[in-house]
Amino acid sequence: MELQAVLMAAGGGSRMMDLTYNTPKPLLPVGNKPLIWYPLNLLERVGFEEVIVITTKEVQKMISTDPKVKLDVKMKLDLVCIQEDADMGTADALRHIQQKVKTDVLVVSCDLITDAALHEVVDLFRAHNATLSMLMSKAHEFTETVPGQKGKKKTGEQRDFVGVDGTGKRLLFMANEADLDEGVVIRKSIMRKHPRMHIKTGLVDAHLYCLKKSVVDFLADNKSISSIRGELVPYLVRKQFSKSTNSPKVIDETHQNLKKNDSNVNLEIQISSRDEELLHLTQERSCWNDHRGDMSDAYHGGRLRCYVHIMDEGICYRVNTEMSILPWSFSAYYLFTDNILPHSIIGASCQISDKTSIKRSTIGVSTTVREKVKVTNSIIMHGVTIEEGCNIQGSVICSNAVIGRGADIKYCLVGSAQRIEPDGEHTTMSKACSA
Amino acid sequence: MSSRGGKQKKGNVTSEQEEEEQPLQAVLVADSFNRRFFPISKDQPRALLPLGNVAMIDYTLEFLTSTGVQETFVFCCWMSNKIKDHLLKSKWCRPTSPNVVHIITSDLYRSLGDVLRDVDAKNLVRNDFILVYGDVVSNIDVSQALQEHRHRRKVDKNISVMTMVFKESSPGHKSRCEEDDVIVAMDSKSKRVLHYQKTQGLKKLQFPMNIFQHGSDEFEIRHDLLDCHISICSPQVAELFTDNFDYQTRNDFVRGILVNEEILGNQIHLYVTQDGYGARVSNLQMYDSVSSDMVRRWVYPLTPEANFTDQQGQGCTHSRHNVYRGAEVSLGHGSQMEENVLIGRDTSIGANCHISNSVIGNNCTIGDNVVLDRAHMWNNVHISSNVEIHQSVVCDGAVVKEAVRLNKQCYFSMLPVSQVVIGPNLSLPEGTVVSMHHPEEEEEDDDDEFLSDDQEVGHSKDKTRQKAFNPAEVGPEGKGYIWKASMNDTEDEELAQCLWGLVLNPDPESDSESEASEESQDRSRSVSPEIDDVNAFQLEVLGTLQRGLEENIVCDNLVLEINSLKYAYNITLKEVMQILTRVVLEYPFQQQGTQLTTLQYTGSLLPLLKTWSPVFKNYIKRAQDHLDCLSAVEELFLEQDTHQTAMVKVLMKMYQLEILEEEAILKWFSTGATNDKSRQLRKNQGLQKFIQWLKEAEDESSEEGE
Repeated sequence: MELQAVLMAAGGGSRMMDLTYNTPKPLLPVGNKPLIWYPLNLLERVGFEEVIVITTKEVQKMISTDPKVKLDVKMKLDLVCIQEDADMGTADALRHIQQKVKTDVLVVSCDLITDAALHEVVDLFRAHNATLSMLMSKAHEFTETVPGQKGKKKTGEQRDFVGVDGTGKRLLFMANEADLDEGVVIRKSIMRKHPRMHIKTGLVDAHLYCLKKSVVDFLADNKSISSIRGELVPYLVRKQFSKSTNSPKVIDETHQNLKKNDSNVNLEIQISSRDEELLHLTQERSCWNDHRGDMSDAYHGGRLRCYVHIMDEGICYRVNTEMSILPWSFSAYYLFTDNILPHSIIGASCQISDKTSIKRSTIGVSTTVREKVKVTNSIIMHGVTIEEGCNIQGSVICSNAVIGRGADIKYCLVGSAQRIEPDGEHTTMSKACSA
Repeated sequence: MSSRGGKQKKGNVTSEQEEEEQPLQAVLVADSFNRRFFPISKDQPRALLPLGNVAMIDYTLEFLTSTGVQETFVFCCWMSNKIKDHLLKSKWCRPTSPNVVHIITSDLYRSLGDVLRDVDAKNLVRNDFILVYGDVVSNIDVSQALQEHRHRRKVDKNISVMTMVFKESSPGHKSRCEEDDVIVAMDSKSKRVLHYQKTQGLKKLQFPMNIFQHGSDEFEIRHDLLDCHISICSPQVAELFTDNFDYQTRNDFVRGILVNEEILGNQIHLYVTQDGYGARVSNLQMYDSVSSDMVRRWVYPLTPEANFTDQQGQGCTHSRHNVYRGAEVSLGHGSQMEENVLIGRDTSIGANCHISNSVIGNNCTIGDNVVLDRAHMWNNVHISSNVEIHQSVVCDGAVVKEAVRLNKQCYFSMLPVSQVVIGPNLSLPEGTVVSMHHPEEEEEDDDDEFLSDDQEVGHSKDKTRQKAFNPAEVGPEGKGYIWKASMNDTEDEELAQCLWGLVLNPDPESDSESEASEESQDRSRSVSPEIDDVNAFQLEVLGTLQRGLEENIVCDNLVLEINSLKYAYNITLKEVMQILTRVVLEYPFQQQGTQLTTLQYTGSLLPLLKTWSPVFKNYIKRAQDHLDCLSAVEELFLEQDTHQTAMVKVLMKMYQLEILEEEAILKWFSTGATNDKSRQLRKNQGLQKFIQWLKEAEDESSEEGE
């Protein structure tokens, strides 16, 4: 087994509270599939047979009991539960399962919907014997109005600055605009090694990482890191260019000593992947080099390397905010099955009366739609009742809501088990949870 | 021009077409405004130095002509007559030349800025023009860059003022000039320059955030660019130089435009060529690499055998391993020309010589058993037998006697200036410079602010002759002066850097440092304050006075100079006086160290006061000025408390010289005391006596008056 897949499905969905009030984020219906199905499907398609799923007790219970949540995957799921209230970050979760990690890992977040060719990321990881390789994509612009939010997407959001080398693969620099008060500062030695650096903004991080096993071990020793994206990745990117304590022999010797002493120094040594001896020999004898322009060794003798695959086209989307669920919910499912894109998706045991018009929408299990209802561009979750003569457009209706007769709802988010009064007219407002 | 005026009247329809048809113009600056090639450039302007046996300016002109320039303005300053003569004789001034060359000379140009201001004043350019130096060697076809430039100017009206031409070359490349080690931040799509910085000596590169806020989401930071010093400028560039009289170099200009982008709305773009060759011979390091690139045919079609200058007898043949031979070259038995060798016409080479990677000029004679490697010999050089020359420049008419060794890598020995004779039996260390000019001639000129090749030194010719050549330095039969023998002390190193440019340093410097140490460095760096204006002004005043003393400058001129400094640093009159007083009183310490006894101190100070009294008088006029001056004196002596006894003498002298008036002194003495220390100072016996004496004198004078 070359890679172990780890699926992070314990996040609470803090940025989409209205939706996750009584459905945990991994199980939110997107195209009548729970969100978690998409990364699982992604892994299954590339041939993984086993996945470690890190999740909460609640989700585990629902997966095993709730008939509405059909995962429909053949892979063996190894469900690992972590405590919900412990406020664990992704790196904490990875540390939690360190015992299970036998090889390098592929970490996927549960909210990722992508048709990316996963092998591109893994190939970078293999070809360069990288410590980290990750997936990013060009951001998509949405023109549709987002339910429950006035106006369009706020501008002036903090951007991520990602610096890659001339080939666009090697990750050289990573920072958030918020941390760059003094401007972008880059060491000259980095520029000497990689004279051409592309600084890109407007990329979506897919939160999909290939990590060396040594990184997981490193995490186990260094408890201060709690998030992969927030702390571990920037740390690794930075560490690429700091001087490593050189030859592997020295490392081995000092390894034992240091274990007792300063754990801080220990980290660096551990983390720089120790190339196997044979590999080292091949590199020495080979005339291959990863760069042009000077005569130094491949990778300039650095042992820690981070790579990124940036998708030019295709879908790469993260469902992590309320507004992000809508545009994809409808078409997502069909992208991953070979079915032809229909007008709408209707879940099982729905009651749909005559003279209704349902366009480009998903309707969940056990939903009742009465006569003369018009639904366009919307998501109706499970067990919703829509009374006669309603008009629903561009909205998300959460589970078990009841929409009163003749209501007119545009670009709204209706919380679960809400009752919308008859004949009401609602535009761009959020009917939040019952609380 | 008159025909153009006539056409324009016909209407707007033709004007657009016509703009395209206007002849392409170029401004060629045939002066470097620095002294990198000193002392060679003392006798020969840089633009005329031979590179591959052709004057450098010919390469530049050929480049311009081949790229489609039809009208070139050559601006000369230093030795303009020589350049003029050269150009008048060359093919550029023949009636058939496709490129009309106008020569404009003036001794007043001190920088590129002056040249462009003159371009603006004379209204020479009408359209986009190419700006180059007279020492640029290039085969880049800039027509595409020109097209892009024009397109940009058409699309958004006159926003882009300049397109800089760069060549791709990774750091560490031989032809990369360390001085021009630039880092450029650009917008990937629009090719717009957002940030331009020389990285020399920097460890961290900082890019301000505002450059990333231009709407684009992809930027590029490039360190693999070599500045070719070719720029396509719009006529606005000349105007901008006029508007901003502080712009001296193109660097100033680029920085100014980028910093003021939001205000002025001007932009600079770049054009990167991948396969062209372009480099500026800005120092000897570059001279060596460009010359070897030339011989290795990187600058094709400008190759030695092409004889593009179209001069009789300059032709040569090209055979394999890049060996070029001019007409009438004789080669002795057993001599080898290994590779990359260019030999000019009428040169004879003795037996058993080894020549590689070298350029030899016309009319040279080379003896037997000579080893030449990376040697650059100009015309009429005589090399005797058993000589070894490595990486050196041997200039016109130099004679190298038997068994001389010119070492070696890293730095060059250079024998500039005609008639230098070296040897026999001598080995010159690395980096030796031998010249017929005596170095001291130079020092006399060093004070000039505007370092340039163009210093007039004629007056000291006779003096030079009197100084004997040192046989230990240049050999028993040698003629010439050593400029600097070795690189031992730091001062020399600086000089060497100045002459040679910086050496390529293949080791990335900051690798070994841990991040932590760098951070701490950062902190310390940010703490250390800059020299503020007052301190800078004080240093300047000190310098002025020093020079005044050495060169016997009239006090009126010193006053003028201090006044101009006052404006330059924005100093108030009161501060001027305080600083002046302080500088003068500290002068003996400055010159002879702080260990002076009080007696020595007053001994050296009093004559100074006398010399500079007119300066003081100029600034100390009103009653308040007197008090300010006195308080400055007091302040200084409070600091130098060991020399307090000298204070009386100083005050006495100033009184005698009528710098200070007695009423002021008395008033100061009675009222000025504000704290314990100054009260203590006033209890000094000598001072008490002096005051007593002053009072009596006043009484007397008043009595007399009655």
